[in-house]
Amino acid sequence: MASTVIGAGITIEGEVTTDEDVVVAGTLRGKLTAKEGVTIEHGATVEADVAGASLVVAGSLTGNVTAAERVDLQQGSRVIGNVKAARVTIADGAQFKGNVDMDV
Amino acid sequence: MASQASNLSVIGRTARVRGRVTGAVDLEVQGYVEGEISVGGDVTVDAGGMVGASVHGRRLVVRGAVKGDLTADEAILLEDGARVVGDVRAPRVAIAPGALVRGFVDTGANGEAVRPGRAQAAAARPAPATLKAVAAPVPAPQAKAAAKPVVASHLAGAAPSPSKEATPRRPPPPVVPALKKAKGQIAKKKER
Repeated sequence: MASTVIGAGITIEGEVTTDEDVVVAGTLRGKLTAKEGVTIEHGATVEADVAGASLVVAGSLTGNVTAAERVDLQQGSRVIGNVKAARVTIADGAQFKGNVDMDV
Repeated sequence: MASQASNLSVIGRTARVRGRVTGAVDLEVQGYVEGEISVGGDVTVDAGGMVGASVHGRRLVVRGAVKGDLTADEAILLEDGARVVGDVRAPRVAIAPGALVRGFVDTGANGEAVRPGRAQAAAARPAPATLKAVAAPVPAPQAKAAAKPVVASHLAGAAPSPSKEATPRRPPPPVVPALKKAKGQIAKKKER
């Protein structure tokens, strides 16, 4: 289980910084910085700039994303913002509006 | 995975949150929260966890450090290793041996204590320090208050300023003043 979990029903307004991985199932507004993986689950709402090693999105994300390794936008996700990562996948059925920068 | 995550929220050991945390579910703090926590469920501040502002929940269990007021709808448990600087208010308050508290403890804040005997026993420990802290500064403000009205009436007559009236109505910005307030309280208490 992830070291930091923002559960459904929890709202954080502000900045979250961690050296480990983060799972968001609730609401986060502000900024999210992790040294490891970030998971935005189905039903979660994130209005924040997100930085991490890897990012998996199944929920709603508004903000710019920077990942050291990869970004996966899963089916049913809704992302508005620019994505910068070495590897980016967008699943069929994902909604996405923004720039992709694979840093080639 | 989703159901597991939604049952409990955790601020991890290395996590640092600057801002408000609100919600209706349980929360566990293993890291550092530099902002107000207000949830409808239970809040646990683990050993190693730190909160730099007020905490409100249904029940609070503290094994770490809190610099701010603690309020709960049901109960507050300060366990061994807890370090609390701030007021503690709940119908039931328990302070275990090894917990450090500096602040006012009130077990009648949200209705009557469920088990008065136990609550009083829990409150008895910090009581001497609290009484001293409260009793000392009281005479001084009263003396000042007696001298003030003359000055105040002069000011009131001379300065018809609407800005002064407007100032207290302004709602305080959320996070930063809470921290400042907490620091100020500590400073005051140290002076005493």
